[in-house]
Amino acid sequence: MKFERRSVISILENVKKSLTEAFSFMLPLLSIVLIWQLIVELKIISPRLLPPPSEIAQTFLELSSQRTGGVPILLIHLYKSFIRIALGLSAAVLFGVTFGMLMGVNRVIYRMLQPIISFLIPIPTLAWVPILLIWTGIGDKTIIITVFLGAFFVIVYNTANGVRNVDRHLIWAAQIMGANKWTLFTKVLLPGSLVSVITGLRLAVGYSWRALVGAEMLAATAWGLGYMVFAARALMAVNVMFVGLILIMVTGFIMENCIMVPLQRRTIERWGMVREM
Amino acid sequence: MGGGGKTKIKIINLRKVFENGGRRVMAIDNLNLDIKEKEFTVIVGPSGCGKSTLLYLIAGFEKPTSGQILLDGKPIEGPGPDRGFVFQEFALYPWRTVLGNIMFGLEIQGVPKEEAKKRAMHYVKMVGLEGFENAYPHTLSGGMKQRVGIARALAYEPSVLLMDEPFGSLDAQTKKIMQRELLRIWEETKKTVVYVTHSVIEATYLADRVVVLTARPARVKAIIDVDLPRPRSYTDEEYLEIREKILSFLDEEVMKAYKSRMLKA
Repeated sequence: MKFERRSVISILENVKKSLTEAFSFMLPLLSIVLIWQLIVELKIISPRLLPPPSEIAQTFLELSSQRTGGVPILLIHLYKSFIRIALGLSAAVLFGVTFGMLMGVNRVIYRMLQPIISFLIPIPTLAWVPILLIWTGIGDKTIIITVFLGAFFVIVYNTANGVRNVDRHLIWAAQIMGANKWTLFTKVLLPGSLVSVITGLRLAVGYSWRALVGAEMLAATAWGLGYMVFAARALMAVNVMFVGLILIMVTGFIMENCIMVPLQRRTIERWGMVREM
Repeated sequence: MGGGGKTKIKIINLRKVFENGGRRVMAIDNLNLDIKEKEFTVIVGPSGCGKSTLLYLIAGFEKPTSGQILLDGKPIEGPGPDRGFVFQEFALYPWRTVLGNIMFGLEIQGVPKEEAKKRAMHYVKMVGLEGFENAYPHTLSGGMKQRVGIARALAYEPSVLLMDEPFGSLDAQTKKIMQRELLRIWEETKKTVVYVTHSVIEATYLADRVVVLTARPARVKAIIDVDLPRPRSYTDEEYLEIREKILSFLDEEVMKAYKSRMLKA
């Protein structure tokens, strides 16, 4: 059938498009890896300080084959970190979006919370860790709360501003058609603030990783990518540190591209509220 | 046309004062005006005189400082679906399709989805957007966007249509087409139209009555009936005569506004 053939063609075209996209994305990364390898091969920097990519890859394979109770150690580190991020970040999204929306729609709430948030925003997330260590002790609780704090403020801030910046004409247009406050909120303010909310969420994903790794260095007992990197310092295992960094990078990248980018494509880009890049 | 009709909107001793940062600006002072049912009333005035403010007050977006606006004899308490509003910058919802935008008012009124769709499609056709009902606004030209704006304001069938320089951001050719289209739609739907513009050419082409406002604070300077058959010709002698008359009223006010601004500077 004609329709089917067309859809096959369009699928092929999509595959071709994503392959070229992947290639143009990978090219700069591959060149960095090559230059890196070259620098070490030419002995410009000692491999003890900067291990070449080939060696890091080897360490990665070695670490992957080390197991505890049948599970690869690397996977346990990754899993622990991921769970902490998932818990801290989802709490931050839930509370951040809720508080931000409340601040955006209600002047009294805005005036009450805005000063508190402006005071708390400049505090580097990691500065909370010593206090949390006293309150909640070494372990998961402290790390998850740190992740929450790292992500929460940027979400609140962007959500509240997003709601406040919705064009007043869009609000008026709904009001004259008879919209009540609830309809105005769900059908105008919510979608109208989405550009800013998504910006907040994307920043929050990045911030939560920073908070996680820092908190794991200070408060983790045995597991987590941050812990792994920090613990490798005692053994001068620079290779292991690099494996940790790359894993953090890749996981962050996957989260960004599997959640945030599709969300953005399906909403604000499709509606022309931001330009496609 | 002109005269005889029932009063739809009655504006009594209207005053609007804006306060920003301790400075008081009187936008409208002691304005009285009757707008007749099913008439096409165009309001002109020097820029910055408070024309749009007047329209916002009728819409209920702003509240009068003192005085009253009666719609069908009842004071206006706020925005409501007995009126439709067309914005200069369209104010379409980017996350809704053409049909979604036009249906929005009906959804708010609680009209069942299928019925709403059917009724919205009637207006999609009326403004000539058939085939574009599933497009998102950002893919449309300015003229088409304003067609959506007009259809959206009409779809839930308000009796009054308020238009704030609706074609002000369109190019000259599109503007002419849209003016003709608007008259056709108005004749089809027979709404009471209050239309704000700074263009005397546009006012004379469209209006049953032209209301000239004074420089700030806005009052009614003159009301001119345009008793010419439609479609009007831009070169017709009578048309030009009326246009000149409106223009001379307006020019006095534009000069006044200009002088007071120069004095302040």
